[in-house]
Amino acid sequence: MSFWPICLAMLAVTFGSRLAGLLVRIRLPPFWLRFLHFVPIAVFAALIAPSLEGSRGEGGIRFAAAGLAGVVAWRTRHLALTIAVGLAAFWLLRLA
Amino acid sequence: MMPLWLGVAPFALAYAVLARDAGLSIVETQALSLLVFAGSAQVSAVGLFGRGVGGLEIVLTTFLLNVRHVLYGMSLGRVVPMTKRERLIGAYLLTDEAYGVSVARGARSFPFVLGTEVSLFLVWNVMTLVGALVGGVIPDPERLGVDFVFPVAFLALLVPLLRLKVDVAVALVAGVAAWLLAKWLPGGVPVLGAGVSGALLGAWLTR
Repeated sequence: MSFWPICLAMLAVTFGSRLAGLLVRIRLPPFWLRFLHFVPIAVFAALIAPSLEGSRGEGGIRFAAAGLAGVVAWRTRHLALTIAVGLAAFWLLRLA
Repeated sequence: MMPLWLGVAPFALAYAVLARDAGLSIVETQALSLLVFAGSAQVSAVGLFGRGVGGLEIVLTTFLLNVRHVLYGMSLGRVVPMTKRERLIGAYLLTDEAYGVSVARGARSFPFVLGTEVSLFLVWNVMTLVGALVGGVIPDPERLGVDFVFPVAFLALLVPLLRLKVDVAVALVAGVAAWLLAKWLPGGVPVLGAGVSGALLGAWLTR
């Protein structure tokens, strides 16, 4: 299988998707403006959920660490602190 | 920006290690990061390369994983004024993370968006090179919990967006839907399906 045609096709569909959204210049009705408000919320949640459990049977400690990170994010709204606490909790729970 | 680099750097390392493991050369591993620049799509693509899957399926999976960028672009183009040339550059470098930071921090100018995008591009590509070079030394990146960075980073982006009860409801529904869909459907379909239905639900609930 040849790598380069696949790589260029991947570039085309990715750049095409990124450009299409930015080039759309239409006045959106209120429903679709509200739709856009909810897009990041729904997409981020959809990116998180399937990757939370992992594939190494560590679902329990990953959920616990993510829960703690979620509380930190909620109380502080601090990106770095949230990620640091999440990872630290994950590693500590693994050792425990 | 620092926390996102901390999230992206290990993700790029993990990608490059997986790519080398799948039989890609250092140049090919780097080419995907330079030309495609889409983490989840690159990781899924090298997984398929390693299994000898056909090119068409790899490209379709990439499309499904990245078509959500249409929505990011529409959302970003609505709040940040850009010239045509700025749209071309901005689109090439658009990622989940750059979009997330730009929206979460209320970016209103193209230089802010571009700065976010370029810094992520540099970190992603430098760490790809590092990962490609040391590839064979790390046998199993997931053993280090590198993949756990991904959900935690997006959690850190998601939580500040949850201001109203309806926001929380949409996040929960989309999360559960994506989790269920991911059990049966490949690649980006769960993200796309749950993302679109979640946003539709939110727009309908606030009518």
